[in-house]
Amino acid sequence: MAKKKLRGYLIYIAVIILSIIFLYPLFILFMLAFVPAQYTIYSAYPSLYPKGLTLQYFEEALKINLVGPLIKSLEVAFMVGAMALAIGIPAAYGLSKLKPNLAAGISTLFFLTNMMPSITIAIPMAVEFLKFGLYDTSISLALAQELVVLPLSIFILLGAFQALPKDLEAQARVDGAGLFRTIYMILTPLAKAGVVATFLIAWMMSWDEFTFAIFLSPIHPTLPIIIYENITRGNILATSAFAIVVTIPVIILAVVLAKYLRGEYLAGGLNG
Amino acid sequence: MVLIKEKFIPLFFIAPALAYEAYFAFYPTFSAVYGSFLTASGKVSTINYQELAGLGVYSAITNTVIITIGALALQFVLGFIIASLLVRGFRGKNAFSALLMIPFATATVVAGYIFSNVFSPIGGYANGTLNLFGLSSINWNGAGSNFIVNIIQLIIADSWKNTPIVALILLAGLTSIPRDLYDAAAVDGAGWFSRLVHITLPNLVGFIVIALVIRGVSEFNIFAIALLLFPHKLLTTLVYGLFSLAAKPYLSFAGASVLLGFILVFVALVLALRRITASRSGN
Repeated sequence: MAKKKLRGYLIYIAVIILSIIFLYPLFILFMLAFVPAQYTIYSAYPSLYPKGLTLQYFEEALKINLVGPLIKSLEVAFMVGAMALAIGIPAAYGLSKLKPNLAAGISTLFFLTNMMPSITIAIPMAVEFLKFGLYDTSISLALAQELVVLPLSIFILLGAFQALPKDLEAQARVDGAGLFRTIYMILTPLAKAGVVATFLIAWMMSWDEFTFAIFLSPIHPTLPIIIYENITRGNILATSAFAIVVTIPVIILAVVLAKYLRGEYLAGGLNG
Repeated sequence: MVLIKEKFIPLFFIAPALAYEAYFAFYPTFSAVYGSFLTASGKVSTINYQELAGLGVYSAITNTVIITIGALALQFVLGFIIASLLVRGFRGKNAFSALLMIPFATATVVAGYIFSNVFSPIGGYANGTLNLFGLSSINWNGAGSNFIVNIIQLIIADSWKNTPIVALILLAGLTSIPRDLYDAAAVDGAGWFSRLVHITLPNLVGFIVIALVIRGVSEFNIFAIALLLFPHKLLTTLVYGLFSLAAKPYLSFAGASVLLGFILVFVALVLALRRITASRSGN
């Protein structure tokens, strides 16, 4: 009995330590943004709790160009999510019709395409996009970021399709539904959780993406690039406030939709 | 006729994905590897690789490999602890899961920026904490700072951002293990360690492989966090080096090919691990 109690305490100690680890860096970002600089970056040993409050950096942050980059980031992220489904759903359906081993082999092949560093692909790509007049557009950046996103998307969707009952499709076909109708009106709605998870993860990966964005969209940059540019310009306190403005909504989004960000979906193709 | 059609249906649906990958990934990859063996005047040679050796590619390789191994180790240990906590359920579990989303939803650039303020030699929160406990400051990334200290802070910053995804995948694995396996083992008097080695790890292999591939490939490509922590190139990784070489495409192709080689070896090792464990447990 005592042993069980001890274990209970240990669990809570671990939970508290880990919670502090997750939370504290975000707290630091808040302190940088809202505590006067003499207590943070200008002090040899910054205070670990807020010793004063100021809105000065927040006001400066409002001068950083937010609307254009925000629209660009959102546009690209939604395109990446949409493309992940447009290419991923048919591919995952096709793979689910193959033998599990062959399907696993092909989805591994897709993962292999991820291995060339983005930088190496980005520069020849920029040349190509210039040729087609697509350079610096949202669609060209989305096409590039899709490279990072698609393999995982197909893998998650494959898991979702493989988990559906096998005779469901045959049943639908007997009832007279065509192939496309079966896939999009019957199978996809039933695999809804996997579809939402795919879109959400694709969206978040695009929102976070840095390397393609810096090479392919320098004139109308996305939010991560704006943050990076302001830091290199030495505009760091205002950037802290700015970073909070763009980070908190995504954290809230992730917490609200956390039920779709489960490891079961990420490890989807294992079910086969 | 109908039979032939049926057989090609899967291929028809996979084709768009294959076409996209072929045009945007396979083709540039092959041309980069091919280009790495060309001189500026179009002759085949290994001169790019020789020049790369003169530019300190060895230290970039060593750094990248050490960071990859260190970061994966830290993320898997922490991820496993988190997943083990979450699988058993406790009061406040939902709040704890929500906290897990903080690093996951924070952009890499923002994470790198926060940690550049944690590990700053002056005004850094790591030194502030050390000072609170009466310990002396550490020169985290100033001039003349210690190489190991540089590596450690990069691993910590990267792991803060990426441990949650490892934890989520391992949690899926732990949830999939039937409880009765543990009950049976408990009846047989198996201890904590023996249950870990004989039940938990063998059943987790598939999930570990997925997490290793997803995370490992990104670790080899680690760049944005290094750029923010070490703006003065105190510590470079392979991709950070490629970023500086972007103006010299042939050298950059050679660097990329070196990286590609390392990643291929890594993935081959991970897949071999899967084969070996699969054949041992007989499935």
